Amino acid sequence: MTRSILLHKRGLHKLLLATFFASAASLAQAEEFSPAQVQLLAAACANCHGTDGKLADAIPAIAGRPVMVLEAQLQAFKQGLQPNTTVMDRIAKGYTDAELSALANHFANVDKH
Amino acid sequence: MSDNANKISTSRRQLLKGLGLASLFPAISACAATGSSQASAGRVVVIGGGFGGATAAKYIKRGNPAIDVTLVEPNKTFYTCPFSNLVLAGEHQLESIGHNYDELKQVYGVKVVHALAQDIDPVAHRVSLSDGQTLQYDKLLMSPGIDMRWNAIEGYDEAAAELAPHAWKAGPQTLLLRQQLEAMQDGETFIMSVPGNPFRCPPGPYERASLVAHYFKKHKPRSKILILDAKDNFSKQGLFTAGWQAEYGDMIEWVGLSNDGRVVRVDAARREVETEFGTRHQAAALNVIPPQKAGFIAERAGVTDQTGWVPVNPVTFESTLVKDIYVVGDATVAAPMPKSGFAANAQGKVAASAIVAALAGVNPLEPVWANTCYSLINPDYGISVAGVYKVQDNQIIDVEGAGGLSAADASDSVRKAEAAYAVGWYNAITQDTWGTRS
Repeated sequence: MTRSILLHKRGLHKLLLATFFASAASLAQAEEFSPAQVQLLAAACANCHGTDGKLADAIPAIAGRPVMVLEAQLQAFKQGLQPNTTVMDRIAKGYTDAELSALANHFANVDKH
Repeated sequence: MSDNANKISTSRRQLLKGLGLASLFPAISACAATGSSQASAGRVVVIGGGFGGATAAKYIKRGNPAIDVTLVEPNKTFYTCPFSNLVLAGEHQLESIGHNYDELKQVYGVKVVHALAQDIDPVAHRVSLSDGQTLQYDKLLMSPGIDMRWNAIEGYDEAAAELAPHAWKAGPQTLLLRQQLEAMQDGETFIMSVPGNPFRCPPGPYERASLVAHYFKKHKPRSKILILDAKDNFSKQGLFTAGWQAEYGDMIEWVGLSNDGRVVRVDAARREVETEFGTRHQAAALNVIPPQKAGFIAERAGVTDQTGWVPVNPVTFESTLVKDIYVVGDATVAAPMPKSGFAANAQGKVAASAIVAALAGVNPLEPVWANTCYSLINPDYGISVAGVYKVQDNQIIDVEGAGGLSAADASDSVRKAEAAYAVGWYNAITQDTWGTRS
C-alpha cells in the first residue's frame, strides 16, 4: 500500500516536472485549436464540473487551477497513474495530449468566481 | 501573464477575422442579451425544456447573445428521470428533482413560453403552440424526449399506466409508483416489465430494481422483485448482478428474453402480466416500462424515420430529413451514445454550437462528446459506465481505449466514491442545464 502510494507520488512528480518543461510546447499545442473549438471541447467537462468548471461539490471544481496541476492531473488519469479513480481515467484516455493541454489551458484561464 | 494576454488578443483577432464569433468568449457571452442594442442575429425556437433543450437554449445564448432564443416547454417545473429512482425508494422527495427556467430567463435572456408545441410547418419555418401563438424560426432545435408506444404490449395504454405506472417520465408517474410500493405488504412481489433496445436510459430499470430492493430490505425484507426483460443482455449487467447478490441476496430475480422474459400482455387492473410463452405473473405493484419512440412533435415535424426515431447529421445534429431542424437527446439515433440525460446535454451543446456557426455563416466545429452514466446499487454503492465519442467518416464512434465500466473488483471505497460522484454529477449537470440544484 505504502509502496504503491510512493510510486504514485513519484509518478505524479515526474509528470509535474515533465509538464513544467513542456509547458511552452503545450501552449503551442493549444494553438492548434481555435478558441471556439476549445470552448466546445471544454463544454463537455461541465456535465460533471458545472458550467465553466466552476462547481465545487463532491466532484472538484477545475476553474482557475494552475495549468501545470490540471495538465499533470489529466495526464495522470490518462496514463493510469492515479489510483482509486472513478471515471476520469476512462474519460481522459479518449482525448489526445493536445486536447488535454488545450483543456488545461482553458480551465486555468477561467475566473473561478 | 503577458504571454497569455497576447495569446488571447491574437486569438480574438483571429477569431473576429476568421469566424466573426467573438461572443464565444465567456467574458463577452456572460452579458445577458436583455437590453442589448445589437440587432437580432437570428431567431431560434427550442422545443422541450429537458436536458437537451434547456442546455441548448443556454449555450446558444452563451455562444451569441444576439440570437433571439425562445424555449417552448409546457411545464413550469421539470422533473428529471435521473434520481427519480431515489424518489421511488423514499430516499428523496420529488421536489428535490424539480428544476425551473429562472436562470435561462434572467441570466441568459431566453424567452420561455409555457405551452405545448403542437405542429410544425418546416417550409414556412413556423411552430404552432397550444396557446394559439405561432413562432417563426430561422433554426429550430427540438429535444422532444420519448413517447410511449401505447398498445405495443397488448392492454398497456394511457389508462393502464394509471394503474400500472411506467414512471419512465418523472413526476406524477413517479409518485404513483411510489404509493404502490409503499402500499405493498411484506412478502409481496414487485414486477417490472423492461423493453428491448433502444429505450431511454439503458441502465435505468436495473438501478430502479436496486433502489427498490434497498427500500424493501429496510421495510419489507421478505418481498421479491421480478424483472421480466425483452432482451438477453443489459447495461452494466455484471456489475448489477454482483451488486444485487452482495447487497440483496436473492431478492431480485431477472428473467431474460430466452427464458420467457418478454411481456406481451398486461392486465393492469389485476396487476397481471403474460409473457410470450403464456406464463402469467401477478404482482402487488406493477411497473411496465413499455417500448418507446421519439416524442410526437418529432413526427409532426417529419424528422422521424420508419423506426420512430430521428436520424441526424452527427456533426451538427441537424435532421437528415428536414433542413433547419436540429434534434438532440433520447429521440435521436446517435448510437453508440446512449439515450441519457448526460448525452442529451452534450448533444445540446454541439447542436447549439452548430446553430451559432450556421447563423454566422461559418462551418460547424468538430464535435467531441463524453458520457458517464452512474447507477446506484444503494445510496453508498455506485457503479458507472463512461464513453468518449467523436465523429469519423460521418459516423459517431466510441473512441477506442477510452470509456468502459467500473472495475469488477473495485474496493468498497471506490464504490462509495462513485455513489458520492453520482450525487456530484447530478448537482453539476442540473446546474449546467437549468442553473438549479437539488
